[in-house]
Amino acid sequence: MMHSPLASLIAPPAPQLPPRAGLGLKAEHFVDVLETRPDVGFFEVHAENYMVAGGPFHHYLGLISDLYPLSIHGVGLSIGGESPLNGEHLQRLRTLLNRYQPQMFSEHLAWSSHGGVFLNDLLPLRYDTATLQRVCAHMDQAQDVLQRQILLENPATYIEFDAADFDEAEFIREVISRSGCGLLLDVNNVYVSCINHGREPLAYIDALPLRAVAEIHLAGFAEEADSFGERLLIDNHGAPIDQAVWALYRQVLKRTGPMATLIERDNHLPPLTELVQEARLADRCLLNAQVQP
Amino acid sequence: MKLQESFSAALLNPRTPPPTGIVGYNDDIDRRFAVYSNNVQSGLINALATSYPVVAQLVGEAFFQAMAQMFIQKYPPDSPVMSTYGSQFAGFINSFAPARSVPYLADVARLERLCVQAFHAADICAVNPGLLTQALDNPEGLAQLHLQLHPGVASLQSPYAIAALWAAHQSLGQIQGLNPRQPQSVLVLRNELRVEVFTVSSGCAVFVHLLKGGNTLGLAAGHALEADPDFDLGQALALLISHNTITGLQPTHEALP
Amino acid sequence: MNSKTTRTLSAAALALALGSALSIAALPAQAAGDMEKCFGVAMKGHNDCAAGAGTTCAGTAKTDNQANAWKLVPKGTCEKTASSTSPTGFGQMAAFKAKS
Repeated sequence: MMHSPLASLIAPPAPQLPPRAGLGLKAEHFVDVLETRPDVGFFEVHAENYMVAGGPFHHYLGLISDLYPLSIHGVGLSIGGESPLNGEHLQRLRTLLNRYQPQMFSEHLAWSSHGGVFLNDLLPLRYDTATLQRVCAHMDQAQDVLQRQILLENPATYIEFDAADFDEAEFIREVISRSGCGLLLDVNNVYVSCINHGREPLAYIDALPLRAVAEIHLAGFAEEADSFGERLLIDNHGAPIDQAVWALYRQVLKRTGPMATLIERDNHLPPLTELVQEARLADRCLLNAQVQP
Repeated sequence: MKLQESFSAALLNPRTPPPTGIVGYNDDIDRRFAVYSNNVQSGLINALATSYPVVAQLVGEAFFQAMAQMFIQKYPPDSPVMSTYGSQFAGFINSFAPARSVPYLADVARLERLCVQAFHAADICAVNPGLLTQALDNPEGLAQLHLQLHPGVASLQSPYAIAALWAAHQSLGQIQGLNPRQPQSVLVLRNELRVEVFTVSSGCAVFVHLLKGGNTLGLAAGHALEADPDFDLGQALALLISHNTITGLQPTHEALP
Repeated sequence: MNSKTTRTLSAAALALALGSALSIAALPAQAAGDMEKCFGVAMKGHNDCAAGAGTTCAGTAKTDNQANAWKLVPKGTCEKTASSTSPTGFGQMAAFKAKS
């Protein structure tokens, strides 16, 4: 086969999600999605729910991923863990990504396993040099096994650690520049963490390496108060997106330009149509998004 | 002790204090750390409730949460794949003294675990019934025939009416007046995308259990008859064939010239 | 255990059973299912990345439950499951002391 010299200079386009609003795909909505074919840009699933041999989960994801671009979002790799990465889990991820060939794969800047015990939550990291080296080593290992770039998501946190060497944005900047991973910017997590730690969300965002953003997450939170009466926000994905998070999202889009945006809802799941309405709102923001000079 | 070691110890046992070195926006560290321990506890309890919804209904929310919390401390998950979590739950319930007033609870848990396993079992097609018909051409070979069953197929024998109890919680039967002391055997299978639960004879349960263990048709049928003189082999095979659970035959007649 | 029956299951008996099974299975679905009812099962995903119902009050309640495990009593649908053969009933509320 002949190749023109020019063609060899053009790299194949990196698979990308369209710059539109997408939805988290829940089993409760499998049939609705296939019957109503909602006009959304993509679907995203949690990798671990599809680490099963067969049955309805694979059946429906197979059909839906034929119709829509797909993003796979891991919740169990424990990239920030002091323990080594779970090699078996990494292989399961590789099998899953090979099977569905998603446009995107993302994981969390967090830990969730220790000493062979999986804690089923995204736990906070102490941002020191040792953690940075560990996270980068784990990212290198995972990107090597999975043979693709991983997007890393900024966490929602409720506490921090003393003896930290970096603030969170600096830490993320370092991980991205050292490992070559991308950034999944969860705007709700930014808002939740900044309120919980008394910071300015937009200042945090401006400290992030926004050029690395390849996907955005939006979700709702629950609000409580601590014993001092201070706001304590909990990233429960159980409510519509808050107005403050929408406002922050529009500010983010001014900086990043239009960007694939996931609407996440994991608790108090409403009918599909309600989530599609929320996706419409995000699509409208995306249409209006202008990159500032 | 490493940070994550003490952090995870405090998460798994709510009576362990938070690790040192934590800072917060204000001095209410305990409240903020509690968000994590509550997430871990409620996340794992919810994972169990997703796998064992009938157990949860039988004992009520408060009892289930407390029982689940004690289970979690004894058997925390060892894999990030939460659909597999809780395989020791039935055994735990069996030895959990406060649940003794509900003696059928452990067997209902066993049934629910089989349903989850069947739901996620591998997709393997049933053999063409024509192959089974061909097997009839050689009646002398039938006793030595191996019938491979779909991985979602499982049977369970109980001294309690577990299928009726289970069905009553799928709005398919009445809980009122149900006699739990009635022994029942159940067959769980996945037919296409549906998990189905059948009450079967104890002989049928033995038959399926032995076929699953790789035994020949002759041996499985013989032991089923010993266990249950009323065992109807034709009916048991009809149930398996008509629900697409026979996925292979060995030796097959295809192999013959 | 009597293993004679294992031997007495003749080739003819096996052939008869398989033959009848195939003819039953060939009938419309309803006929084969007349032995018992079947029930479907739906399942949702087990993993997600949200903070659960892990609010402070829920967690406190759970901790209390654990501390007071000795007075745990099932209070669900089992209370309605009265046995016709057991005069004391089944799944009735009764306090049990847990071993510590």
